[in-house]
Amino acid sequence: MGFLAAGLGAGIIALGAGFGIGIIGKSATESIARQPEAAGDIRGAMLLTAVFIEGVALIGAIVCIILALGLGQ
Amino acid sequence: MRRLSVTILLLFAINPGLLAADTEESSGGSFDIMGKVLDHDYVEVVGVKLYLPRILLVDGEWYFYANTKSALESGEFMQTEESGLVRSDGAQIALDMSITSHLIYVWLGIILTLLITIWAASRYRRGIGAESEPKGAMHNIFEVIFVFIRDDIAKEFITPEKYRRYVPYLFSVFMAIMFMNLFGLLPWAASATADLTVTATLAGITFIITQFSATKDHWRHVFAFPGVPGWSRAILTPVEILGLFTKPFALAIRLFANMLSGKIMIVSILGLIFIFTDMFGAYVGVGSSVFWVLLTAALYFLKALVALIQAYVFTLLSAVFIGMAAEEHHHEEDDTAVAHAQSVEV
Repeated sequence: MGFLAAGLGAGIIALGAGFGIGIIGKSATESIARQPEAAGDIRGAMLLTAVFIEGVALIGAIVCIILALGLGQ
Repeated sequence: MRRLSVTILLLFAINPGLLAADTEESSGGSFDIMGKVLDHDYVEVVGVKLYLPRILLVDGEWYFYANTKSALESGEFMQTEESGLVRSDGAQIALDMSITSHLIYVWLGIILTLLITIWAASRYRRGIGAESEPKGAMHNIFEVIFVFIRDDIAKEFITPEKYRRYVPYLFSVFMAIMFMNLFGLLPWAASATADLTVTATLAGITFIITQFSATKDHWRHVFAFPGVPGWSRAILTPVEILGLFTKPFALAIRLFANMLSGKIMIVSILGLIFIFTDMFGAYVGVGSSVFWVLLTAALYFLKALVALIQAYVFTLLSAVFIGMAAEEHHHEEDDTAVAHAQSVEV
């Protein structure tokens, strides 16, 4: 049951992070297409936002790893 | 496409004699995935284990040993199941200052960074690069990285009057993390940044620098947020104080988890070969290995990329946090302050 929770948790994290980063990528490419001369600034902002999402996702992933490892012992 | 893959499968499964010999060796043995990423008391160099010194503090007394084995042989220490090494009379180790494999790789990363910066500095002092153009591939790469950190990270996120003070730290932390990350790609080495203590130390340095470079405005924003009704400060102040600590925490976890997951992923995917061999027999196992090996090769490139990106991200976020603290606000735009606060809380 605990392993199931860890696996499901990891899956939901991947879902959420993928969704979030997908939206960032979508709006970034749209903005670059609309205004190609601002590509550098947009890329910087995109990376920064993606990194924050990644941070939250990784904290969730670490919780899942700790859960699974704790059960394994 | 399917026929092609079947042909490849057959191509890699034509030597039954070799197969039998391979599986005999691999079956039965277990492989410790976490052992590949955890800290050890030895460094592996080309398959040979070099044991490292143990420095232990028990009951206010220091013990020095050349390695774990000599500590056990001296009779002062014994190995236990539940708590590892303890003194023979049962006293726990109060402080373990032993030199471990991850520490060695941290040192290697720092030494490499030092050597490269000292080498480049001596060249600039002689006028190469300062008066003329930089010469040689190494020098050019150095200058590209340095200018990138200075212009695209420091200047961009820290106020223009102050950014020069932080460029040395940002550059050295970038180089050191990059080297530590890239060590993980070497066959026997480990990436030290796949250890939470290493990344927490690095994030701690950023935290300390952030606090010492914080302006009066920054502290005012933390303890008494301007431009909001008094009662809402009861919520805002704890959140802001919490925010001070979650920033370095997220910084440490991010680097740690990224480096850890890369290694575990590669080992797990290679492990699929043996799992398949166990489940479906040697032919399927070895036949499918071509996919796993190709996937691992692709992951290796991804890992090299992630090593660079994570070093960049750590430096970038350090610069952002320092810049946020060192920023001096002008309080004409008090009504935009709330919007600003929402964008800062991540």
